[in-house]
Parts: sequence; structure tokens; C-alpha cells
Amino acid sequence: MSDWSAVTRPIPVPNEWTKPFWDAAKRGVVELQRCQSCGHFQHPPYATCTQCVSTDLKFEPVRGAGTIYAYTIMYHTGDKRFASAVPYASIIVELDDAPGALMAGNLLDAEYTEAKVGRRVEVVFEKLNDDITLPQFRLALE
Amino acid sequence: MWENRCKIAVSGVGYSKVTRSAEIPLAAHALTAVKEAVADSGLQMSDIDGLATYPELPATGHAEVDGISIVSVNCMMAMLKLPNLTWHIQVGSVNIGGAVQQAVNALLAGVCKYAVVWRAMHNPRGTYQNLPSGNAAGATQFTAPYGFGGPGQGMAVAYTRWLERNGQSRDKMATLAVTQRKHTQHNPHAYFYGTPLSREDYFASRMVAYPFCLFDCDIPVQGAVAIVLTTADRARDLKPTPAYLAGYGERLKFEVAGRIGSLADYMEGGASSAKLTWERSGFGPKDVDVAQIYDGFSASVIYGLESYGFCREGEALDFIQDGRIELDGELPLNTFGGSLGTGRIHGLWHIIEGALQASGRAGSRQVKDVNVSFVGASAPIVTGTTFIFVKEPY
Ligand SMILES: [Zn+2]
Repeated sequence: MSDWSAVTRPIPVPNEWTKPFWDAAKRGVVELQRCQSCGHFQHPPYATCTQCVSTDLKFEPVRGAGTIYAYTIMYHTGDKRFASAVPYASIIVELDDAPGALMAGNLLDAEYTEAKVGRRVEVVFEKLNDDITLPQFRLALE
Repeated sequence: MWENRCKIAVSGVGYSKVTRSAEIPLAAHALTAVKEAVADSGLQMSDIDGLATYPELPATGHAEVDGISIVSVNCMMAMLKLPNLTWHIQVGSVNIGGAVQQAVNALLAGVCKYAVVWRAMHNPRGTYQNLPSGNAAGATQFTAPYGFGGPGQGMAVAYTRWLERNGQSRDKMATLAVTQRKHTQHNPHAYFYGTPLSREDYFASRMVAYPFCLFDCDIPVQGAVAIVLTTADRARDLKPTPAYLAGYGERLKFEVAGRIGSLADYMEGGASSAKLTWERSGFGPKDVDVAQIYDGFSASVIYGLESYGFCREGEALDFIQDGRIELDGELPLNTFGGSLGTGRIHGLWHIIEGALQASGRAGSRQVKDVNVSFVGASAPIVTGTTFIFVKEPY
């Protein structure tokens, strides 16, 4: 199992588009940007709805259940801060409530070989500091 | 069909030495490549009146220093002091293929007569892709905290989706790596010229970002390549046989910055560029005699072959088997070795090879009876451009 204890992750810097996402994560909730005109969820946040061009966008809570859309197993770490965790699984998750809005994460609490396209996962939260909590994923408990 | 079909041609081409590390300033590489391309055309430097490039250093976390880690248009103007310069541009959004297309447009507009396009690539010291130091701002805030650093990892995730959705095996990619390395042995300018690769080497190599092993990734190098473009009429009076440009296209699909791993983004990007190219040239995938498809990472070839229409989605790794991409195969592919063979110089080398194959100037790797020569000059997703060169300007 990948050992994350010695890894110092780069700290996300929220901006005017992304702040609500990070504020929600701090509260232990995933909130994604949703178009109020057509209902489309999108991630990362953007200035307009990427489906209908509306600017009427709000962040809405979504459930943390989803599916691994894609993944890679990292063996080579250009960045030495991640070296102690290799090999580890970096995954892309499509949440059930927000098809098409792809979130990155690591597969925690499992062997990296458990990462497969289509596997069910659920969100967990990893506190980085007092300001930033990172949404992460683990295999769904059936 | 495009009203400007076959009105522009590639004439001379040039190369610098390709080295693993930066032994001399990048500007010297670029200057060598440009001088060679002009000489290959049979022109004098004073004939050159147009300049274009895409100077970006694709490494993360390294300073861009003009002349050292990039070679801007400004740098080239200062070195060449062209007495008759009338036009120049440095593109940002469509990679080096976009610089070539802008040179084509400038020639068609009559604002220059002989344009040089170069691509110079630096290999910085130390780690190529550095994650943001303490903080992850902008688009990286959703990827860097999870260890996503360079474009290779982004392409790797789309590759796992492609493999597992299509029930495919990465073992089949060995054919691409080995065949391209075979082609490389006919290209003395390439970094891996003189270094063959076996299937055993491929399977024994270390994993970088699964499904990519070392030989799925182009090696960072220092070097430059260049071409001369001119109008078809002028090209016919020059030394080399011209390669006529029958059509081009660029990626039209919108991509959200920081969105990672979407296979659909690659497919839609490539399809949009290819559609323009097929329509403008009047050709289709079945007409193509030889293809160069950008291969900075091997999976880019899958996305290219499928999105451009050479095979159906999910079939690319089967398509490249059984000798089909050999020099005497049904679709000879990356006949100069690709970026996997030359080293990371980006897609201008693919464009050069596409032109050389069309003009019959590819030497011992020349494919027989080429008329229609296709080029996909960068990964289909972000910066994709496509081109068709022909021997006969009908
Ligand atoms: Zn909308």
C-alpha cells in the first residue's frame, strides 16, 4: 500500500472561481459548479457553462459516490516530495451526481493495483492545513 | 475543396545536432537548422522575408530564457539581421503546426515570399516536470496535489480508459515502439540513430506512469529543426522537389484548462482538425500513402489514428500490427522514427518528414509511390494541427 505519510502535497490556491469548492471541502462536502440554466455540472469550475454558455452558475452539493473513469500508476516521480509514495494510483473519478465533471484524486487505503476503470469509489477528506482540505477517494464499502 | 489547395509548398529543410543535454546555447541549434534549411532550398539568407515559430518550453518549473531555453522570433531576428524581412509571428495556442499555418497564410496573403519556420527545444538540467513548489495555483490546483505533474500523466489516464474500455493490452504498443525505432535507423539526424530497440527491451523497461513505460515516452533533448515555405510557383524554381500543401486543419474542440483524462477531449479535438484537412484537400484516410502522427507519448498515436479516421475507435493497437506501419506496409507510420526516435523536438519534424515523403526526398526510408502524405503535428487534444502534402499538385 502506498505510504503517504512522508508526502508534502502542493497546497491548492483558491481563486474567485474555485473558492466555493475549497470552502465546501473544508466542511467535508463536495460542491461542484452547476449551470442554473441547463443543469449541467462541471469541474474544474469555469467562467461560463461549457454546455450552454450561461453565466448563471452556482455551487451545489453532490454525493461522494462515483466511479473510476481513468487512472495512472505513478512510478516515476519528477517531484521528490512524492517519491516515498511510489508506486501510487492517481485516479480520475466521475461522480454519480455529476456525469462529465471529472475529479482527480489518489486511491487511498488500498493497493494501487485495485485501481481499475469502472471501480466504485467514495470521497474521503484529507486535511492539508487549517485552510485547505483535499477531497480524496477510497474504494466504496459495499 | 480549398481554393488555395496546392498553392503553397515546403522547399528546404534543416536540422541541428540533437544532443541529450545542453552543451551549446539553444540559439546556436536554431541558427544551424535555419541556415541548413535555407541552403537546402538553394536560397540566400537575404531572400528570407518571413519568420515564424512556437517557442514554448514544455517543461514545468523552469525559467524561459531567450536564446538558452527558448528561441523567440525576436532572438532569430537579432541573429539573422535579415535585410528584406517583411513579416514574422510567434504563435501561442496551436503549437508549431500553428506557426506553419500562419506562414502559409502570410504567403497566400502576399506579405512575404520565403518564410522560415523553426522549432528549437531545450532540455533543462534536473527534473523536466517540476510540480509547483509549495502552492498549486490556477489550473494545477486540482491536479498537482495528487501528484499529476506533466502532460504524460494526463495522457496516461486517458490511455488506461482506452485500454480497459476496449479490452486491449498495452503489450501491443511494443510494435509501435519497435517499428519506429527501426525507422529511426534510416534517419542519421535522430537521437536514437544507431541504437536499435527490441521487443524484449520494451517489455523489460521500467514503468514511468502506467501504462507508459520508458519507451512510450520521447526522450528530452536539445536540438532544432527548420523548414522553408514558399508559394508553389516560386518553389518550382528552387533546388528541391516541392511538397505541395493540399490542406490543413487545427483543433476546434474547446478544452477546459485543468480537466484531465478525458478521452473524449482527444477524440473530438483530433476529429475536428482532420475534418477540415480532409475537406480542404479533397482526400480521405483511404487515400493516404504515408502518415506521420505525433508521438510525444505513444498513446497519442492511438488517439490520432482513431480521431483522424484511419481506423475505428478501440482498434488502433490492432491496426498497427502485422507490418501495416512498416516502410513497405499499408500505412507506413512515423517513417523518420517519430519523436520516440528523434527525441523531443515536437511536431515540426513530423511536418518535415511529411513533406520529404511527398517530394520523394526521404532517402533510404522513402516509401514507394507516395502521392498523399498525412501529418498530425501534435497531440490531438490541446494543440492539434493536421496537414496533407502531395507530390502532384492536381
Ligand atoms: Zn448550461
